[in-house]
Amino acid sequence: MKESPEQIIDKSLRLVVSFFISSAGLWLLAAAFLAYIAAAKLTNPFFLSSFEAITYGKIKIAQANAFIYGWGGNSIFAVTLWIIARLAQVQGTGIFPLMIGGILWNLAISFGLLGILDGHMTSHELLEMPAEVWPSLFISYSIIATIILVIHRSRKVKDTIAPQWFLLASLLWFPFLFLIAWDGLEINPARGTVQSVISMWFGQNLIWLWLTPVALGAAYYVIPAILGRQIDKYYLAIFGFWCIAGLAPWSVVHHLEGGPVPMWIPAIGTVMSIAMIFPIAVASTNFHSTAFQDIARVWNSLPLRFVIFGTLSYTISSYIGVVFSLPSVAKITQFSIINEFHFNQRVYGFFSMIIFGLVYHILPKMTGKEIGVKAKAFHFWTSTFGVLILLLAYLIGGLTHGVLAQQPSLDWSTVVIASIKPYFLITELAFVILGFSQLVFVVNVWKVIFPSPISVLPSLFRSGANEIVK
Amino acid sequence: MFLALGVAWLAFVVGARAQFGDLTQTAESLEEDGSVPQDADLFPHALPGIAQQGAKDYLALGCMTCHTQQVRLVEAGFDVERGWGKRPSVPRDYILQEHVLIGNTRVGPDLANLGLRGHSLEWLHIHLFEPQALIPESICQPSPFLYEVSKEEKFGFIEISTDESNSRFIKPSLRAERLVSYLQALKQDYELPEMAFVETEEETTESEEIVADLETDATDSGAPTWLAEQISSGKEIYMKAAPGGGLCFTCHQPNGQGLAGQFPPLAGSDWVLGDKEKLIKISLYGLMGPIQVNGADYNGVMVAPGIPPGSLTDQQVADVLTYIRNDWGNSASAVTPNEVASVRDKIKDRAPMQMWTAAELNAELPLSQ
Repeated sequence: MKESPEQIIDKSLRLVVSFFISSAGLWLLAAAFLAYIAAAKLTNPFFLSSFEAITYGKIKIAQANAFIYGWGGNSIFAVTLWIIARLAQVQGTGIFPLMIGGILWNLAISFGLLGILDGHMTSHELLEMPAEVWPSLFISYSIIATIILVIHRSRKVKDTIAPQWFLLASLLWFPFLFLIAWDGLEINPARGTVQSVISMWFGQNLIWLWLTPVALGAAYYVIPAILGRQIDKYYLAIFGFWCIAGLAPWSVVHHLEGGPVPMWIPAIGTVMSIAMIFPIAVASTNFHSTAFQDIARVWNSLPLRFVIFGTLSYTISSYIGVVFSLPSVAKITQFSIINEFHFNQRVYGFFSMIIFGLVYHILPKMTGKEIGVKAKAFHFWTSTFGVLILLLAYLIGGLTHGVLAQQPSLDWSTVVIASIKPYFLITELAFVILGFSQLVFVVNVWKVIFPSPISVLPSLFRSGANEIVK
Repeated sequence: MFLALGVAWLAFVVGARAQFGDLTQTAESLEEDGSVPQDADLFPHALPGIAQQGAKDYLALGCMTCHTQQVRLVEAGFDVERGWGKRPSVPRDYILQEHVLIGNTRVGPDLANLGLRGHSLEWLHIHLFEPQALIPESICQPSPFLYEVSKEEKFGFIEISTDESNSRFIKPSLRAERLVSYLQALKQDYELPEMAFVETEEETTESEEIVADLETDATDSGAPTWLAEQISSGKEIYMKAAPGGGLCFTCHQPNGQGLAGQFPPLAGSDWVLGDKEKLIKISLYGLMGPIQVNGADYNGVMVAPGIPPGSLTDQQVADVLTYIRNDWGNSASAVTPNEVASVRDKIKDRAPMQMWTAAELNAELPLSQ
């Protein structure tokens, strides 16, 4: 049987995409484990309190870094590499450097997280890993990104489409952001609160310009691919892309409202956050008016169900984000645990859900093995349920926290914090559900990537026995 | 594409650096022509070395995950009203810090001015060791790994008594000492040309009320004006946490009730309403060790009031003693500066800073007298 061109591409990428997906899965589990410990420590401060390496502060930071760089980074490599190669219609090249880059990237994160737990974290938002590992992160990223670019450059069709814009933009933005942060924070460290502005600008841009475009690009690819129809109002996509490129880097520093920085910094952030409704509306129109033309098929295809959950979540979370950046609202919710809501909504409800969908789309094509429908459905429902509980708890808890904190007569620990304790308990429960759900995901994935020992061993044994018989 | 990001980078990174990346220290107020007055004290001060070490521990342990260190502008929040600072923080406050730890989440309170809240070293150490021993509802994380714990009292150990039967004693490690030094050094207690202290409305109305109260009191009881003046000045000293103040309220509380088992009350106290000479002696040298107040036992340390300890003038000691003898339902004779001066003269050979014990005071002048 002759292999189709797609199968040849998939085969050429099988090793390296499997590597990225399986390491992403491991980081996801690690992050889930850390998230649970952090949540448990918040509900019971004496939980494991005698171990210095796992104070709440360290665990919480390590969790965010494991999630963003470990799970986020590896899954971004896998998804970007596969989609770019498929759209370029060329086989994967440079598998060896890709593997080296991937291993270096994962080692760098491992050492970075150990560094955080050992007490060497930096004060930079979402870049808390000690500066010693930054060069390895940068080099390994550059290797991987360069090879993806080489694959893209050798594409057969010269015209590019929306998924390519988003994926390549994100691929190129990350090193640029990273260099800016590196220069401003370590090489020529800025003085005073300029440091905070740079680190916040980097940390928020990481989510807006690295994770977000990948998830959007993946959705632009997979929705038409599965449904077999054009993106509705596709001509808007280019507008949405340039809006994100032009507005997002301006919109991210509104969290410093009223803080020790010149007022124009949060003010610009606020105005630009409000302008972000344009790109959000575009993406939402594109995805949802396409998907809702054939909603039955969306529902029946699990990968697509994940993706549409993600895009809906993107729309909702972004609109909520706009509302919360209005100065009158920001005044109340600033510094409250609503920050956790925004973070989890974006990295979990949006980014991760789309990546789950993509992985379920890619793996069967690449390995030729199907993942059990029940296992996938179980993963979908536990994830949905866990995410919703988590986000509701942080949203309602955050509002309570913010409103009470704005009343100076209320005592801090006995009234303000005591009233949000129940929400911490709910998030702990949500992290247990999510951890379980992620375990199912990883088992699903590993089962198709690695041949099961139960099926491999007997065949080995049989061939060994045959050898002896001969 | 790079251009889009580049423009934003220019604005936020390059622009911010150019605008306020090179702020320098300055005086609390400038000359009319905008120059820094000669010989003026320049702010912000650098943290003491041990506190700078402590900042590293603060960062390493992840304290910033829950605590901010920034007082927001009055329009943006109620931080000043909550008592988290005398004024909003400005960029200049942070220029000497190696790591800027302004944070972005307040699961715990803001710490920009923790050093101004009058917490003692012991309080901070106990809070680091086990916050729940002081505030049972707290979800702040205990750090027992910074302390050596003992069941028996030893030299240099701090006692923690959550309940009577079960006392524990802790000895701070070097890191704990550094952290506490850092926490105590956190204060923005100076004005800058760009930001003055905030007069909160509440405070003004409150102090106006007190003055009004005192005036009515004075007219009602027919007390002379000099007494009302002494009382109002004494109250100010009692409540003041800056040089010229006594810092009394932090232990004895604004309502004079003290804290049961820890700090004796002043309201209705047999010591406060009793012999003046003992009171003056305590105010000049401090007091330590076991003491019985209104039949209840206390065992603590009180350094001489004043910042630095023992720095109050005769007039200030007279005022604050007159105040505590005439508020919260207390009513006793005023203390005059002359009385303070004569006691000061009488004990002038006593070694500086040597605190009294209750036994010593009673031996000289029995309480029943």
